[in-house]
Amino acid sequence: MALLRKKSDFVGDTVQLEDVGLRYADGPEIFSNVSISIPQSSFYFLTGPSGAGKTSLLSLMYLAKRPTVGRLKLFGDDVTDAKRNRLPAIRRRLGVVFQDFRLLEHMTAFDNVALPLRIAQVGEATVEKNVTELLKWVGLEDSMQARPSFLSGGQQQRIAIARAVVHRPKLILADEPTGNVDDAIAIRLMQLFVELHKHGTSVILATHNEHLVSRFPFPRLHLKDGTVTAMPPAAQAP
Amino acid sequence: MIAFRSELPLKGETSAGFVVWLVMVLVFMASIAVTTNAYIGALLDHWNQSVTGTLTIQIPVMLDSKDPTSSAMTARVLDVLNRHPAVETAAAVPREKVTELLKPWFGTGEAVADLPLPVLVDVRLSTNDAAAINAVSTSVQTAAPGAVIDDHRAWLNRVIGLAEGLGAIALTTMVLVTIALGLTIVFATRASLAEFSQVIDVLHIVGAKDGYVAGQFARRALIQSMLGGIAGLLAYAPVLAFIAWLASRIEPGILPEISFPASHWIVLGALPIIAGLIATITANVTVRRALSLKV
Ligand SMILES: Nc1ncnc2c1ncn2[C@@H]1O[C@H](COP(=O)(O)OP(=O)(O)OP(=O)(O)O)[C@@H](O)[C@H]1O
Ligand SMILES: [Mg+2]
Repeated sequence: MALLRKKSDFVGDTVQLEDVGLRYADGPEIFSNVSISIPQSSFYFLTGPSGAGKTSLLSLMYLAKRPTVGRLKLFGDDVTDAKRNRLPAIRRRLGVVFQDFRLLEHMTAFDNVALPLRIAQVGEATVEKNVTELLKWVGLEDSMQARPSFLSGGQQQRIAIARAVVHRPKLILADEPTGNVDDAIAIRLMQLFVELHKHGTSVILATHNEHLVSRFPFPRLHLKDGTVTAMPPAAQAP
Repeated sequence: MIAFRSELPLKGETSAGFVVWLVMVLVFMASIAVTTNAYIGALLDHWNQSVTGTLTIQIPVMLDSKDPTSSAMTARVLDVLNRHPAVETAAAVPREKVTELLKPWFGTGEAVADLPLPVLVDVRLSTNDAAAINAVSTSVQTAAPGAVIDDHRAWLNRVIGLAEGLGAIALTTMVLVTIALGLTIVFATRASLAEFSQVIDVLHIVGAKDGYVAGQFARRALIQSMLGGIAGLLAYAPVLAFIAWLASRIEPGILPEISFPASHWIVLGALPIIAGLIATITANVTVRRALSLKV
């Protein structure tokens, strides 16, 4: 029957959750029966009240946690029970901005951003070029050799974003990536994500910032009381 | 380039100094065991060489016999020995030398001059073969019933027994030191795994493989253990020199002068490398195990 999408039609979707539920240890279920399908090259906001489980949902996608129930596919690949040695290759196609940045304190801003490239054994000349360029773009050309702890929260956040996108990931999972910057910088950082999205990268961006959501023509996934509701874009495409 | 970059903070790690210090102590102890082992080996060789292939025959004096100085019997024994194919040389120990040997017990007075002393015959054999030694013994026994033949085996065996006991202690020390080193690295590695769990999480998220993370820990363990090992050797050098000096003050004869074989110095020099290898492998396995339990 042509009208019904078969499960195999989802192959190629960037992220696909089927009846996923998550609980921590013996705690209550954070969410359950979540079924989402994020097509290639899409941009989704992820919203919901604090504690709703946005970070938890994203952490399933960047493979830091496994679903308690249900199945998870990334890039068409079922990774629900993927062996550990398969994960690095999948993770290299992801870019993650953590809500708490997770920058490496003993490294300079430059080295933090260079990390994904160096782990992937990209040549040092390319590393130098790409990292410098990106740090300029996010306005940190003067702080490249600074340690994160000597920088402001907003500057650290920009390093975290640069680290997440420097290796041109297929999927960006950004957890509150503009929480620590003023609106002007937030818009500029959003432009970076939008730009990457236009070039084919899928973006899932968790945020509290209703103002941000309303300014961009992207659909949103709203997480509340353990269920996810898909909502249409708040803004019209310009 | 890549191989020498570390994503783990090198400074400020709690267990780093601890590992270096502990490996230093362990390598110091291992050095003592290595030297002990080499010394015992050399000592045994020395004794073996100086004792094997020789016999001492003691011909008793029988005061009431027709031959109170056993001179006829001695002549017979020497004759038998000198014609035996397994015998290289055979000679009676001169009476003055026997008196000399007995001096500590009897002094040099007139008494000794008149003492009926047994005749000692030193025999050097051309072979170490037990059958040949037995053949010589039998012929001597036939020529001189009552002669006591000492092939020094019994004495040597007891010395060898003692030496082997000491050698076993040295070896046990090596085994214990190895276990201690392994455990040290396991616990130090686990401690830094916990200390750096955030860093490790980030490395994983950006796509690092377990082997990459394990390699970083292994390299640190290698460096720390080599440093500790070299420090242990440096600490051991003056101790060895001091012991050698103490030994040099002992009158010659009590302890044979022994020079260590090249292997002793090579093994000593290799200790930091061996410690480094053990540490590298242990750290690698520990990290891989710990990580394999993660998500
Ligand atoms: N490691 C954990 N162990 C146990 N419970 C956890 C853990 N992490 C999160 N939780 C719980 O899961 C729920 C969802 O947390 P989560 O961080 O995913 O929310 P969030 O939507 O990201 O919130 P915020 O908007 O404040 O970042 C919360 O009730 C929280 O207490
Ligand atoms: Mg969160």
